[in-house]
Amino acid sequence: MSTPGNVLEISGLEVRNLRPAGGHDGGTGAGAAGTLGAGQAPLVRDLTLSVGAGEFVALVGGSGSGKTLTALSCLRLLPPQLGITGGSIRLGSTDVTAAAESDLNAVRGGQVGMLFQQPKRMFNPNRTIGQHLLEPLRIHGRLRGAKARDTAVEMLHEVGFADPARGFGAYPHQLSGGMAQRAMTAVALAGRPKLLLADEPTSALDKMLERQVLQLLDRERRERGLGVLYITHNIAAVAPFADRVLVMDSGTIVEGGPTASILAAPQQDYTRELLAASQLAPDSRRRPPPAERDILTLAGVHKTFGPRRRRHTVLEDVSLDLKGGGILGILGQSGSGKSTLARAVVGLEKVTRGTISRHLEEAGNAPERATAVQLVFQEPHSSFDPRMTLRASMEAPLLRLRGLAPAARASRIADAMAEVELDECMLDRRPGQCSGGQLQRATIARALLLDPRVLICDEATSALDALTQRTVLNLLLRLQRDHRLSLIVISHDMDVVRYMCDRVAVLLDGRVIEVAETQAFFASPAHEHSRALVDAAIPCRGDHLRSLMRGPVSLHS
Amino acid sequence: MLPFIAKRTATLVAAVVVSSFAVFLIPYFTPGDPVRKIIRSRVSGDVVDDAAVQSLSLSLGLQDPLALQYLRWLGRIITGDMGLSHVSRTPVADQVLPALAVTLSLVILSLGLAAVVSLPLGIAAGLREGKATDRVITTVTQSFIAMPEYWVAPLLVLVFALKLSVLPSAGWAGPASMILPAVTLALRPISYFTSAVRSGMIDAAAAEHVPAARARGLSQAQAVLRHVVPNGLVPLSTLFAVWFAGLLGGSVIVEVIFAVPGMGRLLFDSVINSDIPLAQGGVVVVVALAVTVTTLADLGHRLLSPAVEGSYA
Repeated sequence: MSTPGNVLEISGLEVRNLRPAGGHDGGTGAGAAGTLGAGQAPLVRDLTLSVGAGEFVALVGGSGSGKTLTALSCLRLLPPQLGITGGSIRLGSTDVTAAAESDLNAVRGGQVGMLFQQPKRMFNPNRTIGQHLLEPLRIHGRLRGAKARDTAVEMLHEVGFADPARGFGAYPHQLSGGMAQRAMTAVALAGRPKLLLADEPTSALDKMLERQVLQLLDRERRERGLGVLYITHNIAAVAPFADRVLVMDSGTIVEGGPTASILAAPQQDYTRELLAASQLAPDSRRRPPPAERDILTLAGVHKTFGPRRRRHTVLEDVSLDLKGGGILGILGQSGSGKSTLARAVVGLEKVTRGTISRHLEEAGNAPERATAVQLVFQEPHSSFDPRMTLRASMEAPLLRLRGLAPAARASRIADAMAEVELDECMLDRRPGQCSGGQLQRATIARALLLDPRVLICDEATSALDALTQRTVLNLLLRLQRDHRLSLIVISHDMDVVRYMCDRVAVLLDGRVIEVAETQAFFASPAHEHSRALVDAAIPCRGDHLRSLMRGPVSLHS
Repeated sequence: MLPFIAKRTATLVAAVVVSSFAVFLIPYFTPGDPVRKIIRSRVSGDVVDDAAVQSLSLSLGLQDPLALQYLRWLGRIITGDMGLSHVSRTPVADQVLPALAVTLSLVILSLGLAAVVSLPLGIAAGLREGKATDRVITTVTQSFIAMPEYWVAPLLVLVFALKLSVLPSAGWAGPASMILPAVTLALRPISYFTSAVRSGMIDAAAAEHVPAARARGLSQAQAVLRHVVPNGLVPLSTLFAVWFAGLLGGSVIVEVIFAVPGMGRLLFDSVINSDIPLAQGGVVVVVALAVTVTTLADLGHRLLSPAVEGSYA
């Protein structure tokens, strides 16, 4: 039945929630899987796929489509309330669904390696990278002592650690997100697996790091025939690397085929939506040019942290201006000072030197002007108090800063919820009961409550999947138009900035190295670092993708 | 790590200095003239000669500035000279040090007992959260919180000393006499430790890096042993230090009931007898020891959990 050369064969897989509906589901810890699974419908149904040796297969779908459950099924490591209720999974000669638990331990990490979405949280914070790496070497390679150590250091070197001996002794919190994912790759490959399951390993990384990780995987499969099942919500990111694309929706594969033909001639509406979402065509919108007058001016802003001897400069001589009604994009890699800049503009952070002036004469009285610059946070789940309902979270600023009566508060909140197209019944939920997209809308609604003139979006959509990201971006654009807001859009994502902004500023190590009109910037970035950023993005998305798709596609409303 | 140790040591010294100054000031806030008290403790009769008061004040240096007096006092304490007890008229150090030795053995014994009992109980309860094992362990150990020492101690004496006659009811001579006081003192730490270990285990087991370890090929048991249990025990180090520091002076009820000649009882008696030098010496020693233990626990916590390092890593 099994085809020689295939490292993974799944046929007719079905995954269900084993707990009866309405029963005890172990609290909210199970997350989306738990809440979705409360019904009787299977979470994964009739799923069939295969990955050959040396083949790169992309499994693409929105959040909640069952991608991750499929990967976990391959290792038989589903959360305890879920179970495989049908079908079979073969890894080479091993039948995963029927194998004994002890045999599976040899398969996990030995035949199959796995990469996870949040690499830093997948390491034990109290153990060094080296200690993690020694585990699979001992279990699968039977290596111990100095030999194991040498192999581990060599593997860290292979995945791109400049100083592998130091990386060996480093603790997870000392690594950047990109280095952590490389370290995780070394750990996943340590047992010399034939198949790598990669579950959104780069979704939290910026485009440059994403590309580096993808190139690393690509090298592994070419050099030693590693089969890769790459799970992502972003079809464009993997397009240059994937041999085949499988599109997954509501627990099953709705479309699949060679990458070029899926991109060129998608059959399903869902596939088209995914493609459109990952593309964010920049020329699809028209809006009035911004006013000539500045609403916000930053002049020579410096920000340093830490005590004198270990002073750490985060912002250095930053001068920028935001025109009334304009949208300014701030691009930069992680650690370039983007978030500090956002916090300084809102007033959450005092600048060490320089001035940030607001020109808000028309924004009303002094307390109203004080709150006229609002921030939309990056992580919606951590920007709400988990124990308060959304209503309580939203009422607090109205009560404290405006002293409104209960009825006035309620109507103001209702208006804001309507603005962001959220149902009012959401107000009685707590953050844990909302999806990321819903919460990010609520974050925007909360920012709107105080009648802001300027909205700062700090990676406001980076944590969302491509489809949700697109709707939230469009919501922001509509609000900007309707309320004549001025926006600062902070992102590491080229496409978001290109889609949203009139002007772009690039931040590198706390300095502004380039400010330009969006179109001119993407046509010919002036600074070397800007070019590197733009180059890292283009082949993955946008232009290259459209060339693959042979001509423009207009799918968005 | 080195700057951290330096910083913590500085904090430790500062804490000892500040608290010792407060202790130094005790005589100024207690009723009665300490000088007269000293004379009264040395001569018989109730009448104290004013001239004697004056000459003793002079010879004690009480006309000097407060800061100078404090430094002189601190210098003597550091060199081990804590003065004479008003009551026994023997050096304070000769009473404090044996009492400290007794209390230290009692505290180490009971906290050791508490650790030996609560580690397996807490681990078992945490790993079987919500199951019968967990419920039984949690209910039993939590009930210890509601058992005050002055109730447990007589009960244990009644059963083991009076009814069964297997253990002595009081005193501090030989291992057998240590059992009842140690058990009494261990009960409340047992319930707090068990609960801390249990919730530590639950948190550690829910961490996302545990399934990641399974995906590397570790068996469930290996993953628990290497990545759940050690992580779950980290919070215990701090709790342990807090209890250690607290029991040094807080074992007074047990010491009084079982006639254990320890620090708690010494401090209790010194206060009852207004024996100020004894109280001062005892408190300074207990404070210094308590602060040291907490500092060591902080260092230990940092070694066990390197990510606590803070923002200037």
